[in-house]
Amino acid sequence: MIASAVRWSHRNLFAKPFDALLSLIVIPLCAWALYSGASWVFHGAQWSIIPESIRVLMVGIYPADQIWRAWGTLLIFGLLFGATLGCVFFLSRGLALGYGIVVAAIALMAAYRDPASASLVVAACVLALAGWFSTSHWESLRRFLVPAWTLGLIAVFALLSPPGIGLWGGLMLSVLITMVTAVLSLPIGILLAFGRRSQLASVRMFCTAYIETMRSVPLILVVYCVWIVLPVLAPQYTVPDVLRGMAGFTIFFSAYVAEYVRSGLQAVPKGQVEAARSLGMSELDVNRYIVLPQSLRVVVPALVGNVLDVFNAAPLVFIIGLTDFLRAGQMVLANPQYSDRTYEIYVFLFVTYFLIGSLITFAARKLELHLAKGAR
Amino acid sequence: MSTIVEMNGVNKFYGNLQVLRDVDLSVEKGEVMVIIGPSGSGKSTLIRCVNGLEVYQQGEITVDGYQMPREEDRKIGGEKELAAIRKGVGMVFQQFNLFPHKTVLENIALAPMRVRRKSKAEAEANALRLLDRVGLKAHAAKYPAQLSGGQQQRVAIARALAMEPHVMLFDEPTSALDPEMVGEVLDVMRELAAEGMTMMIVTHEMGFAREVADRVVYIDQGAILEVAKPAQIFDAPQNERTRTFLSRVLKH
Repeated sequence: MIASAVRWSHRNLFAKPFDALLSLIVIPLCAWALYSGASWVFHGAQWSIIPESIRVLMVGIYPADQIWRAWGTLLIFGLLFGATLGCVFFLSRGLALGYGIVVAAIALMAAYRDPASASLVVAACVLALAGWFSTSHWESLRRFLVPAWTLGLIAVFALLSPPGIGLWGGLMLSVLITMVTAVLSLPIGILLAFGRRSQLASVRMFCTAYIETMRSVPLILVVYCVWIVLPVLAPQYTVPDVLRGMAGFTIFFSAYVAEYVRSGLQAVPKGQVEAARSLGMSELDVNRYIVLPQSLRVVVPALVGNVLDVFNAAPLVFIIGLTDFLRAGQMVLANPQYSDRTYEIYVFLFVTYFLIGSLITFAARKLELHLAKGAR
Repeated sequence: MSTIVEMNGVNKFYGNLQVLRDVDLSVEKGEVMVIIGPSGSGKSTLIRCVNGLEVYQQGEITVDGYQMPREEDRKIGGEKELAAIRKGVGMVFQQFNLFPHKTVLENIALAPMRVRRKSKAEAEANALRLLDRVGLKAHAAKYPAQLSGGQQQRVAIARALAMEPHVMLFDEPTSALDPEMVGEVLDVMRELAAEGMTMMIVTHEMGFAREVADRVVYIDQGAILEVAKPAQIFDAPQNERTRTFLSRVLKH
């Protein structure tokens, strides 16, 4: 074992003089960084701030007595996320076991502090596992995924609205903005992509102008402009800031989705369209059954990456006064009691974003492999 | 005897390049017409004009009683009328163009279900019958990528037949196949001809043409130079260019 380790390091780290020099500089640097980091994490930092402010970080200024609604949302999302994962990532026994162990470990760590929340988190994880299991093993359930998500989102909205939409905040708000934007920008983006290729000049010009405008302008500007303009367009309604923010995000990201879809449409060989037309199929049928399935298969990984972009851009809603996950962290720091815990909060924010981002990227890669297999 | 396809004085231009010159052609019901010629002569363009995949600028093309619109008459959204005409015209492509995301059975049953509004059961039963006819019933649940080239082309023929067309167009159906698979596709086409299907075939398979064709058309640089029965055109070509072409192509 030692011999193979020595051989590996010789080949990969010290093969040439230049490599050896780099290794001699970089390895001690990495070791020092790791040591400093680890000693801070375990000795220097005071992590108590996280459990104390976890409610603000998770749901912002949502009233404390209505938190059960947020828990309900977590349970619903847990089930749906698990079910979605099961479509592309088969749940083997080993995986289930590993998952169970991780959840149990986290639950035990948190249980002594706050048993109620810990048990609810465990419940959500169990539901996720159940969803994962059901779509892995019973393929016929997969056709219900899209309706299930639609119903789930409607249920979540209905559940969280009564105390007031303006009170949504924290990680819950970030996730909701991401989900609504992802769900709404897809059909709008597909329509824009087809519109851009239309033979009707007016449709084509409008869609091209829309897409090019949104791609030339920063998101923060679009969000702010939509926030200002929406009350002018509908003066009789008071549209909550959250919905205006979601509208701004949707309007902006639809253009990017449209470009992804358009590249997918161009990837479909012309012969496919010719063959479908030769069979007498109408343009709508050609697009619906032949072009769109093949093009979406190509661009789905990029679209999932787009969802990650939306999630990472969610903090921009601070411009219209909303408190998302990042802003909630900053709000916690504004409290003079916690003002010197900056590193702890930001490390927590960083790790959470990193975990969620990695999960989405991982899902995208798995999806890519899964689709490549099927369309062989 | 009714004429299924009639072309009168058809001219087609790509910008300034003329690809079809004064084409006059008529195909009778039940006739097998084979079109031969050097590459770039316009033979593919010719049959693609018959089902509207290419537009023509001058002349008249009548298919099964319907007049194919010229370029200036093609309206935006005129695809609906073209779709109605194409229901009766089947086309088989050089590159097969099967739908890769659907099984063989779904490939064949899709158009009858969507265009002729047949029920799923009826369309699939019909599809299985056609697959049996081309000898591929066992492969109904496979995806096109799992089939060989010859098998894919036979599925493509079955797919075109599923729409019960009055005329079948073949654009170099065996040119993309390995030699050992050419035979199985030609056999299917031979049977089809024997059953009385009207066919327009662009091909380089001269042996097949001699055996199956009712008339052979030689086209060169967009113009039809000779039209004759196969025995006459292969044994005693009248036109100089036909002779040159045949001497290069026929390997006797």
